[in-house]
Amino acid sequence: MAPGRLVPTFTPAMLVSWLLFATVPMWIERVGLYQYLGVEILIFAIYALAYNLVLGHAGLPSFGHGAFFGIGAYAFGLAQFNLAASLWVGLAVAVLAAGLGGTLVALFISHRRGIYYALMTIAFGQVFWFIAIKAHSITGGEDGLLKIERLPVALGIVTFDLRDNTALYYFVLAVFVGVSLLLWRLVHSPFGRIVKAIKQNETRARFVGYDVWRYKAAVLIISAALSGLAGGLFSMAQTSAFPDVMSLHYSGYVVMMTLVGGGLVSFWGPVVGAVAFFLARDMIGALTTGWMLWFGLFFVALVLFKPEGIAGIFAGLATRKHKTTSAPVSNPQPQER
Amino acid sequence: MLDVTAIDTFYGETQTLFGVSLSVQAGQVLALLGANGAGKTTVLRSILGLTRPRRGDIRFEGRSIVTRATHEIARAGIGWVPDDRRLCPTLTVAKNLSLGEKRTAFRAWSMTEVIDIFSPLKYLMSREAETLSGGEMQMVAIARALLGSPGLMLFDEPSQGLAPKIVDDVLGVIRRLKAAGIASIVVEQNADVALGVADRVVVLLHGQVAWSGEAAALATDAGLKRRLLGGLA
Amino acid sequence: MGTLLNLLPHLVNGITLGLLFALIALGFMLILGLMEQINLAHGSLFALGAYFAYAICAPRLPLPPDVLGMWAAVPLGWRFAAAVVLAPILVAPFGLVLERLMRRTYGRDPLYGLLLTFGVAMVLEELIRMVWGTRDYILPVPREMSGGFIMLDLIWSTYRFWAAALAIVAMAGVWAIVERTRFGAMVKAGAHDSEIVQALGIDLTRLRVWVFVLGTMLAAFAGVVLAPLWGIRPHMGVDAVVPAFLIIVLGGVGSFWGAAIGGLLVGMVVGLSGAYASEWSMLSMYLLLIAVVTLRARGLFGKKSVLEV
Repeated sequence: MAPGRLVPTFTPAMLVSWLLFATVPMWIERVGLYQYLGVEILIFAIYALAYNLVLGHAGLPSFGHGAFFGIGAYAFGLAQFNLAASLWVGLAVAVLAAGLGGTLVALFISHRRGIYYALMTIAFGQVFWFIAIKAHSITGGEDGLLKIERLPVALGIVTFDLRDNTALYYFVLAVFVGVSLLLWRLVHSPFGRIVKAIKQNETRARFVGYDVWRYKAAVLIISAALSGLAGGLFSMAQTSAFPDVMSLHYSGYVVMMTLVGGGLVSFWGPVVGAVAFFLARDMIGALTTGWMLWFGLFFVALVLFKPEGIAGIFAGLATRKHKTTSAPVSNPQPQER
Repeated sequence: MLDVTAIDTFYGETQTLFGVSLSVQAGQVLALLGANGAGKTTVLRSILGLTRPRRGDIRFEGRSIVTRATHEIARAGIGWVPDDRRLCPTLTVAKNLSLGEKRTAFRAWSMTEVIDIFSPLKYLMSREAETLSGGEMQMVAIARALLGSPGLMLFDEPSQGLAPKIVDDVLGVIRRLKAAGIASIVVEQNADVALGVADRVVVLLHGQVAWSGEAAALATDAGLKRRLLGGLA
Repeated sequence: MGTLLNLLPHLVNGITLGLLFALIALGFMLILGLMEQINLAHGSLFALGAYFAYAICAPRLPLPPDVLGMWAAVPLGWRFAAAVVLAPILVAPFGLVLERLMRRTYGRDPLYGLLLTFGVAMVLEELIRMVWGTRDYILPVPREMSGGFIMLDLIWSTYRFWAAALAIVAMAGVWAIVERTRFGAMVKAGAHDSEIVQALGIDLTRLRVWVFVLGTMLAAFAGVVLAPLWGIRPHMGVDAVVPAFLIIVLGGVGSFWGAAIGGLLVGMVVGLSGAYASEWSMLSMYLLLIAVVTLRARGLFGKKSVLEV
């Protein structure tokens, strides 16, 4: 780790993506797609970036992230109904509520890794999903929380109505840019470097003196909070919130798109994955209802043969200049008996 | 019978054996000596394919085994008595022994013969392996390897942790195997024990062969012995 | 006293569930012991067993109409028996494929094994959705095994006793294989020490394949037997793999009785919580997992846990 190395605030890949995303409303309909797709992609790009903080950067397998996304979704709606019909309040509550959920889970699992961590996240995910279904009076149960409104962006002087998909798209894009800058800075901060060290060798990091528990907990909490932000945006975009986003199946979607995009080796991989996932859904889905099966098989194939994902494939083809995040941990310890 | 030619073996990225060569003939006992960490166990593991050499060749009965799977190497007729015995603790002695039974190109040993050699086994058959003493475990481990019809036996520290009387018994067994035409490689830290049965000796130092020759030559030359083995004799 | 007596049927329910959980856990444990990898897709094999059983019993098979008609005319009792025997056999190939895939992750960072098996579980669930749709199914049970009877002024479910009996038979079979056959000895030895087993001339790869097949068939069998109690839905796999893991944590890896007793414990918690709030009984299993993993990492019976990573 070269201390004096200047880390850019963002990479060319990020900038190009942002600009590309900004132009989307101009051509999306001409290619036969639709504006709302862009909204979905960006929301899940935020979700996947947040998720990758735990999977790719910290090396922790979470299969229950849907819970945090879902908490954010419900929190946004509930805040709107019970607190204030304000976009900022709603999103803030979504972030806080999901962060609290993350804190609760982090308390139980941060001292673990590997399979115990994975199974615990599954268990917690199932518990939250269960509560979402059963707490009918709060969440609307299986019928969902309906009539959530797209609140306007009130910036004092000007107000933007988000009921138009294009306007919503630009708002989500702005949040996306903000979140990606934030996470980029975080990953390249001393905090991020320590998390990377913990991923490589937790025992050694503890020896050196880091409070590993705290870092792992922090990573989960931040990731949960930002996943909740995505969830809040999602329920606003959909104008409803349903329990199924908390299901194991749904949690699996973000795992798959993150790895497929290249989250294990690339900071921007999850974004690529989100794009790939939704394009697959709409394009392959137009041909067959079994698109998810193919995407899943693609995911399995990548885990076996190319865990670096799409971004990893491109990084291999291009130069090695911008390999900024950690490599996949794949050294087996020699069998010492 | 066994020819090891210039093997380089690594643990992960660390090289532990550097161009090690040795050979054993049928009915011969080769002592593999050296300090702790010199690489003696690694040589055995390389022969067995448990820690495969990256370079070099190993031929058993003329056929190269360096790329073969461990179970195939074992089936070719190489038996192993590891330094930690490695019996399955929750199985009975009888079951542990039966796991070793197999036929190879070499002479088969029946359970009766084996119990004849290791008479205490008769009373231990239904005991669970983890309840045995060190000496008893050693006996079972050797018997188990013998039931596998070996042409070559690999003994890793056979005297370790055993009372002198038992060590004598073990050496007696090795001599008996030798008489039956079975070759042995005996890895030992305690040189005198090994020199008691060995025909030839190879001394390892930091993963390299420091000396190889007749056991008699080493046994009689105290100066050479001291130089090679230091305080181990 | 009255309320305690009312708990009895739920206790029996719990024991039945527990036996079936133990069966799943045994298959899971055999695989885990030998491969040192957690198979998150184990639950999918359980689910496939249920779905294949449904296809055989309902019947809903891709056969020409007259053949299907002939099969449908066969008494349900025979069809059910056929399902119990055939479903595990039909699921076995899926296990073989899964084993092949898992081989590639052997020895690497455990994260890959988790991601792989998780991915396979999702693929299998999608496959199930594609073939059978997303609605819930109920596995029809022959009249002789269904319904209820009254004893001690309580209503008991007949099928639960049958399910328990089937589970006991299967567990006895597993016990016999593990404790009384050479195969079982090889599995035990291999789980404890993979190197010495190979050095004794045993083909560990082939052994692993057979163990995987056995574990797969046990999971599928449990899926068939549990289907009438739990219903059949695409995501039922999770509800099988979680108790299996929970039982391993409780009973340790490598102990038959640990799995059996652990299974009964978990089953009774689920069964008894069903007495108070039937909807929350499955939830109790997840809460129990959280509690157990939080409080202890080693099993009651087993020694070193290969899960401690």
